Amino acid sequence: MSCGLQDVLELESLNTPAVLVASSAFAQAARRQTELLGAPNLRYQLVAHPIQDRSDDELRELARGVVRELVAALSG
Amino acid sequence: MDFIDLLDPTAERDPVGRPLAPRGGEIRRIALLDIHKPRGDVFLDELELLLQAEGIDVARTAKPTFTKPAPADLRREIAESCDAVIEALAD
Amino acid sequence: MELVALVKHDCPTCDQLLPALTAAAQRGAPVRILSQSGERETSEQAARVGLTMIPELDVDLALSERLDPDAVPAVVLFDGGAETDRVEGLQRDRLIELFEAAGATLDAGDLPAMRPGCASVTRDPAVAAAIAARRARAEGRIRSRILRIGGLEDPVEALYDRGLTDGLPVVPPTPERVVAMLEHSARDPQDVVAVLPPYGGIATIEKVAVNAVMAGCAGPELPIVLAAVEAVGREDFALHGLLATTHPAGPVLVVSGPYVEQAGMRAEVNALGQGCRATLCTGRALQLTVRNVGGGRPGVEDRATHGSPAKVGFSFAERLDAGAPFGGLAQDRAGLAAEETGVTAFAGEAPRLVADQLARDPESLAASLAEGLEQVSSIRFRLAFDAMLVLGPEHGRVFREAGWSRAQLQLALHQASHRPAGEIVRGAGGIAEGLDPAWVTDPAFPVAKFASPDRILIAYAGGDAGLFSMVIGGWVSGEIGSAPQTARVEDWLRPGRS
Repeated sequence: MSCGLQDVLELESLNTPAVLVASSAFAQAARRQTELLGAPNLRYQLVAHPIQDRSDDELRELARGVVRELVAALSG
Repeated sequence: MDFIDLLDPTAERDPVGRPLAPRGGEIRRIALLDIHKPRGDVFLDELELLLQAEGIDVARTAKPTFTKPAPADLRREIAESCDAVIEALAD
Repeated sequence: MELVALVKHDCPTCDQLLPALTAAAQRGAPVRILSQSGERETSEQAARVGLTMIPELDVDLALSERLDPDAVPAVVLFDGGAETDRVEGLQRDRLIELFEAAGATLDAGDLPAMRPGCASVTRDPAVAAAIAARRARAEGRIRSRILRIGGLEDPVEALYDRGLTDGLPVVPPTPERVVAMLEHSARDPQDVVAVLPPYGGIATIEKVAVNAVMAGCAGPELPIVLAAVEAVGREDFALHGLLATTHPAGPVLVVSGPYVEQAGMRAEVNALGQGCRATLCTGRALQLTVRNVGGGRPGVEDRATHGSPAKVGFSFAERLDAGAPFGGLAQDRAGLAAEETGVTAFAGEAPRLVADQLARDPESLAASLAEGLEQVSSIRFRLAFDAMLVLGPEHGRVFREAGWSRAQLQLALHQASHRPAGEIVRGAGGIAEGLDPAWVTDPAFPVAKFASPDRILIAYAGGDAGLFSMVIGGWVSGEIGSAPQTARVEDWLRPGRS
């Protein structure tokens, strides 16, 4: 999980807006990780846990549910 | 110890924290970075279709493993060829 | 009447006294027993010593800090909240008396008459520093925002990543380090030293101290840095222009007076160069303060074409010993007494050598040094620039033995740096640059390099050997440029003057 946030941080330092999509099970860890990385406004988007057990259709539904937020995180 | 507290040497005009990339430019091309956990590809496939429907170009790419940060070369390549990145799907 | 006892886990004397203390407490004696150690160590001690009750924890060492014992065990007697007596270490009979005064009994019969205690945890340097930092924050002596560096970042890299360095690594400014630095100025840390361009950042003593820590300064250097910030912050120094210019100049600091020794600046061998912490770090601290508090960054607000290594920091001490030909620069320019120490800030480039291996009389040496001074910026640029000459001791001796004053030397340098207009008019020698021919009526007319003799500042520093002096070319001078400024170090050492 922290690897993903580190990627986002490194990409941001290369002047490329980035956002990580993670399961909602990571909500608290994500917040703490961003603090530990010194970047509390690092962007990440949570999707409802679980992931592994979901059907393909459910996963596509999750994607449709967050695509607007993702684009917003990258442009504003 | 989790944190080291330092005193800010500036006049404190700017927000605290490491600076993020500036926003506001046009986003024409987004890299979808697959961290290679199972089922992530289905999610990313759908994102690809949705973004393309908005007229945004999509580049699909992947990390060799989700257990380490992406290699520096890959990050640099993505930064040079794309305007923004979505990394998914961490669970 | 109540009693408070402070103990710690790694103290054999505390081990020895604790059973009697806890027994008294359990019999109803008005005694609180607090441990300076952590929860686990305190429980382990209680088990090891066979106590029937576990001492309380002195959370955050709050009580220890208030009572401030040198040693534990420490037993303090209070009457209505005010301390009336205390015993540190094991002094059996005195402890028995203390308990009696509180209306209780200490069953200390089998204890030795006397056994020294162990150092209180508050005497551990790291603990004392943390306590001092906490207290400074609580009392408002430090008010800077906290930069919280998480465990996934390296503190040194973190400061780079936040754009807070000059390109070299900095010492992470922990509250402990900054509070220790602030010990070296008796003034209120919230006193304003200067308001810095380009964004009007307020440089308090605290902010300067944070940057001084980052620069690597030792505490005694702080008052020098504070005087430097005061000097460059004055309007006539024109720091905003100096910061933004394409010219390579930056603030040059000359420290003149007895405090240089206390601060550890060395004015002999390598006086302008490497090897001396105080010399290097005072100059660096000034530039870091200007950058971080003022907000001007190289490449953005600072547009110097080349800049120079001297822009990382340039500070040096004058060598005001028996061999000095004149008094200090600060004393000359700002009327400071010889026993005072002044910092003179001058807008200048990196230093350049002027060598003369043969001159033995003051006139010919002055003429030779003047040739070097004429080269500032371009030999063809006249009147627009000031300069500083740093006389080396072998050159200085020539003037001292001839009995010349500083003013005499300035006059001689001024006169010897004239040049016939015809030699430096545009086009002369096939060179496009030069005086506007419209202003040249007589090609033989001698044109001064400097606007007046006192625009050539003279300082004195360097090692005993070497027939060398150094020229520090100035930036634009006069009303549209920068005028050198002097500030007094003593004003920042202690309160009372302003």
